[in-house]
Amino acid sequence: MPGWQALYSELKGKNFEIISVAQDTGGAKDAGPWIKKAPLDYTVLIDDQHLVTKIFNMVNVPTAVWIDEKGRIVRPNEVAYVDNRYKALHGIDAAPYLDAIRDWVANGERSAFVLSEQELKARLSPATNDRALADAEFGLAQYLYAKGHGQDAIPHFKEAQRLSPDNWNYKRQAWALSDAERDYGTNFGKEVQKLNGKPYYEPRKLPEVKKKD
Amino acid sequence: MSMLRSLLILIPACLALATVARAEGAKQVIVYEGIVTEVAAPAEASKDLWVTMKDLTRATRFVLKPQGMCKDKLCFPIPKARKSEFVARRGKTQWFNLSEFARLVRQPIAFDQNHSVWYFGARQDQQSGYIETLEAPDFKLPDLNGKLHSLSDFRGKKVLLVTWASW
Repeated sequence: MPGWQALYSELKGKNFEIISVAQDTGGAKDAGPWIKKAPLDYTVLIDDQHLVTKIFNMVNVPTAVWIDEKGRIVRPNEVAYVDNRYKALHGIDAAPYLDAIRDWVANGERSAFVLSEQELKARLSPATNDRALADAEFGLAQYLYAKGHGQDAIPHFKEAQRLSPDNWNYKRQAWALSDAERDYGTNFGKEVQKLNGKPYYEPRKLPEVKKKD
Repeated sequence: MSMLRSLLILIPACLALATVARAEGAKQVIVYEGIVTEVAAPAEASKDLWVTMKDLTRATRFVLKPQGMCKDKLCFPIPKARKSEFVARRGKTQWFNLSEFARLVRQPIAFDQNHSVWYFGARQDQQSGYIETLEAPDFKLPDLNGKLHSLSDFRGKKVLLVTWASW
């Protein structure tokens, strides 16, 4: 979050906003302490229903979408690290992504990082029937959890995970609300090991920026 | 021995009573577009969710009209030949099969038997429409102070929308 604050301080005078949305079933109780850690002046929202994950068909955090002045998507879902704190785990260098944002803010639709309509449509995929049902199962699980029926929520969290197996948000959120080993027979570390070298995040596809002579 | 026998007789009797009692005042919960509504259950058991017309509108804001099941300008025609699969009359009450309607409009449902909760997901017309227009789907969420913000409030600016989580 200090990383996003630094970028925001640098770019906020240039008609640019950051909306950072916490995907946390525990709402302000869980997300609040992180927000209060340092003064932030960009917009930080709390999404206790994982609504943004659902409507943008996301599977991971941090995931970012670039939206232009007309409200149109110009770069869809992609991994968005602002610093290299976890680089040892995922191998993604933050710097080229931050430079891409700077380029977009400076050049708008002329930026090499703004995708064509054709490329956007190729990258955006509609939710499958299984994903749509997974969203409903996850919603039901969250409803039961919020009503104090944590144990009865578990089969529905599991069903959401089964239907949307690539969705780390639906796994990690459910595990965090539970004793993952006891209730799910696994944990985050074990599941990452199972990837067996496959990337945790879908690789970024940033174009090479041509250096000016 | 005789005590065991009377217990064995008593158990089914209690079960039968429980079934009747449940059918009389049974409630079911519908979560539709995030709105939670408690509705009456019909006396007859069904794998599907049957609701009275009044409860249907309370829970979903849809109303049955001659042209179909409607909400504002949105209308889904009910196939005439299959009307009996959607609508049934019991005494003075007209019931509607919300599960069948969900199948018609391609809307997923998650169901919890223990708590009689029916959770409705996004209808097909609510899913992925933005891929055609490329317009980012709008949402409204609170900040830490409870103040609501919509994505559309930021129209006219470039927005980096980024998710994170505490877990």
